[in-house]
Amino acid sequence: MSENNPAIDIENLGVAYDGRWVLRGFSLRVARGEKVTLTGPSGVGKSTVLRCVLGLVVPQEGEVRVLGRTVDGRSVWEVRKDLAYVAQEPDLGPGTAREVIERPFSYRANAHLRANIERIGEWFERFRLPPDLLDKDMGTLSGGEKQRVALVSVMLLDRPILLLDEASSALDPANKQTVTDALRSARDLTVLSVSHDVEWRALSNRTIELAPTARTPENEA
Amino acid sequence: MNDIVPITPWGLAAGYLLLLLPLAILLHQRVPILRQSALAVVRMTVQLLFVGLYLQVVFRWNNPWLNLAWLLVMISVADGSIVRGCKLRARRFAAPVALALLAGTAIPVLVFIGPILHRPNWLDAQYVIPIGGMILGNCLRADIIGLRTFYESIAKGEKAYSQSLAQGARLHEAIRPYFRDALEAALLPTVASMATIGLVALPGMMTGTILAGAPPFTAVKYQIAIMIAIFSGTSVTVFLAIWLTARGSFNAHGILDRTIFRK
Repeated sequence: MSENNPAIDIENLGVAYDGRWVLRGFSLRVARGEKVTLTGPSGVGKSTVLRCVLGLVVPQEGEVRVLGRTVDGRSVWEVRKDLAYVAQEPDLGPGTAREVIERPFSYRANAHLRANIERIGEWFERFRLPPDLLDKDMGTLSGGEKQRVALVSVMLLDRPILLLDEASSALDPANKQTVTDALRSARDLTVLSVSHDVEWRALSNRTIELAPTARTPENEA
Repeated sequence: MNDIVPITPWGLAAGYLLLLLPLAILLHQRVPILRQSALAVVRMTVQLLFVGLYLQVVFRWNNPWLNLAWLLVMISVADGSIVRGCKLRARRFAAPVALALLAGTAIPVLVFIGPILHRPNWLDAQYVIPIGGMILGNCLRADIIGLRTFYESIAKGEKAYSQSLAQGARLHEAIRPYFRDALEAALLPTVASMATIGLVALPGMMTGTILAGAPPFTAVKYQIAIMIAIFSGTSVTVFLAIWLTARGSFNAHGILDRTIFRK
């Protein structure tokens, strides 16, 4: 894995659901440390791009490389160790905030990161979450609280690449600012996000508009 | 103690007279299950008479191979009904579920007839068929609950499931909470029935043993042995049914293959 490989390299990606293309001929290269935002009307496959990078969707055409490794059935398990993901309206499973944040550290892939759990309080404070929320059931949290808990969870996993799908949609302006500040200050962190927020775009080095007519946005620019 | 009293055809006919009571109630209250009930009574009678005739032959010959064949036929019938009951594709599920049923039935049956009853012939029809049947019936119910809970909860909770993959979970780590919930749901009925047994009603095997003329304490020991056999059989079968089928039900990326469900 050479240091010169881009963080994410997507080539000619094509994904169809039930025989209908939601994404076709999409290419994108995200350099290490770069913050890129995908935008565009709903249904153009923005979330699908993130899910292909994670190997949660297997594309019919093209390929995705993460830090130089092609994402396939064999490599995906290693690739995911370099990625962290906040889904749109995240569902981190049952339990209290503390339980869902600690759960990933029970996986072997994250065993060496267990010490990071001690930094929960620090990230809670940074994202302006009250400490007593840790022992509340995830089902009782508001949308904005859930999003920030999901963000705390990805920050603790200490991954070089973040994939954020509308991760700020339920945040108020002050919290949005806090989160974008935290991400901006992490210079080495690569962030590929999907967002409609203008404030969020201020975080990114590049904003890419996906169009329904499956063209290649980079060629258009 | 007396041996069991046979029921004469006239005696059984008198038993059918009892059906007049539900018939009257259903008619009076216009409960719309009259046809269904009539059909069920007819089916029960015909099915049991057939089984009775067949078993008479099986018991008379008492050939170990024939007894084994009978068990295998029951297992394949149970197998088909599990796969259908869970709306899963037979081509991929029939073989692993049959294997799970075989293990879940055979292990406790062999322990029951061997170390518990000390029968010289492990495939003696008088024991292997009723005990095997009781354990298998419970395995059938447990497998349906276990497999349904497992696959449906992953399909419904796909978001939380894929989140765990995204957090670096291997397949066995990602399915663990669903596996645990499925085992819990499948085993809880057996656990609950063990906990209340004898308080609410006399359990089936105990009743049968008493009717057959055994002293109540012997009947109780049989009942304890069968409950333990059922509990161990159901846990083995559900564990294996999920474990053996899970390998082929996820793609190389760890995503549930939705073509496992019948449309």
